[in-house]
Amino acid sequence: MKKGISLILAMLMAGSILISGCSASTRTTSADSTAADGTEGTTAAAADDSLAKVQKAGVLILGLDSAFPPMGFVDENNNIVGFDIDLAREVCSRMGVELKLQPIDWSSNILELNSGNIDCIWNGFTISDERKAEVNFSDPYMQNRQVVIVSGDSGITALSDLKGKTLCLQTGSSAADALAANADFKASLGDVVEVNDNVTAFMELDGKTSDALLMDEIVAAYYITQNKKDYVILDESLADEEYGVGFRLGDNTLRDEVNSQLKAMAADGTLKKISDTWFGKDVTVID
Amino acid sequence: MINYVMLSAINYPALIQYLAEGTLTVLELFFLTILLSLPLGLLVARLRMSRYKVIQLPVKLYLLIMRGTPLMLQLVFFMFFPSMVLHIPVARLPVAVFSFTINYAAYFAEIYRGSIESIPAGQQEAAYVLGLSPMQTFMRITLPQVVKRIVPAIASESMTLVKDTALASVIGVAELFKNATSLKATYASVIPFAVAAVFYLIMNSAVALFYSRVEKKMDYYKG
Repeated sequence: MKKGISLILAMLMAGSILISGCSASTRTTSADSTAADGTEGTTAAAADDSLAKVQKAGVLILGLDSAFPPMGFVDENNNIVGFDIDLAREVCSRMGVELKLQPIDWSSNILELNSGNIDCIWNGFTISDERKAEVNFSDPYMQNRQVVIVSGDSGITALSDLKGKTLCLQTGSSAADALAANADFKASLGDVVEVNDNVTAFMELDGKTSDALLMDEIVAAYYITQNKKDYVILDESLADEEYGVGFRLGDNTLRDEVNSQLKAMAADGTLKKISDTWFGKDVTVID
Repeated sequence: MINYVMLSAINYPALIQYLAEGTLTVLELFFLTILLSLPLGLLVARLRMSRYKVIQLPVKLYLLIMRGTPLMLQLVFFMFFPSMVLHIPVARLPVAVFSFTINYAAYFAEIYRGSIESIPAGQQEAAYVLGLSPMQTFMRITLPQVVKRIVPAIASESMTLVKDTALASVIGVAELFKNATSLKATYASVIPFAVAAVFYLIMNSAVALFYSRVEKKMDYYKG
């Protein structure tokens, strides 16, 4: 009898914790359900109140991989900072909403977006055709290349030198897409190692367990400069890309609002100012 | 030439604070899970030993799925299935606690069952003859012996749980491992991981100590 009651109590506690969690999470909207199926061409015309919802809630939730310097990362005072964060803060203050940063697991980024846990993905998010099928991109705001990094003393100067060598890259990144698009180059490699993040990739190069890395030029250059490494970025790049902000399919009003804010920031020089702070020059492409 | 915003060398006080925050989340996950899954496991064990197939078979299926699929997968499933398919919003920490609880309850259930079934049937018969009800037999005779026997196994599972909390990072819970990973990216160094390892070791030392005390307390008779 006592055992039975205590066991039922235990299950009730488990259930109540889950339910209390549900009520605490007020961000998910039912309008997202049309986009949540992940299919293209969702009936966006029906209820595109994405901007209205954000304004009503007073907060824009930004999903990021908080281990991606210099776009979004944790600084030495445990604050999440980064180029994308500064852009987002400015856009949000102009929109009159608060910016909420939600670190997520990068490999579930689109899942988090579609489930309504975040409103946008803003973290050096490369625009690609495959992603366009699942994500509603803003206008491109920055350019980037997928480049190969090698040790200074490796003697490798061109992509052809990597024949039979081991290449390391981040799982699920646009580096992986760029490699897949360059089938000949990929076939010439000895081995391709996928790791969880770019720092691990650099450790592979440090420990010589990989001969070369493939990643965003912006990220690579940041690491090499920040950590004063003797690494070389090869001139030949694998892909030219652009970064954009990712929204749910159908969230057009929200996307358009962010677009117009970024344009305004480009026009009055704020964009250039932020870019100068982080990169010493204007790397943005919005005009 | 690109000039980047430079970071100074590792800010140890901030690092330890950040990892301590992650450790608090680990402790939260740990205590909630243990508190919920230990009783739940006992219930599941009882159901598993039921005479009725209509109860036993679903329980066996649950045990198979929980123990047979990766915990990481279960976390992702419970995080995204409700919101994407059922359109019910869920929050991260409760989902993590829920997922850990039902997963660990499965393992605990089998530990309980193994120990319960190892108690000699003669005791049940003797209790029956002496006029004890099945519930009294279980609570007063069987269960105390079972608890004494399973302490080492439960201790191992508890230490595994402390480490498994790292998996909650796949659904965005800011626990110790995720925080250490963020700082690793910030400083391009493994020192955050080394410090995180120390935190895990401290927690698990406490767990191990606790259970060895429990074992000593239960040692008032042999066998």
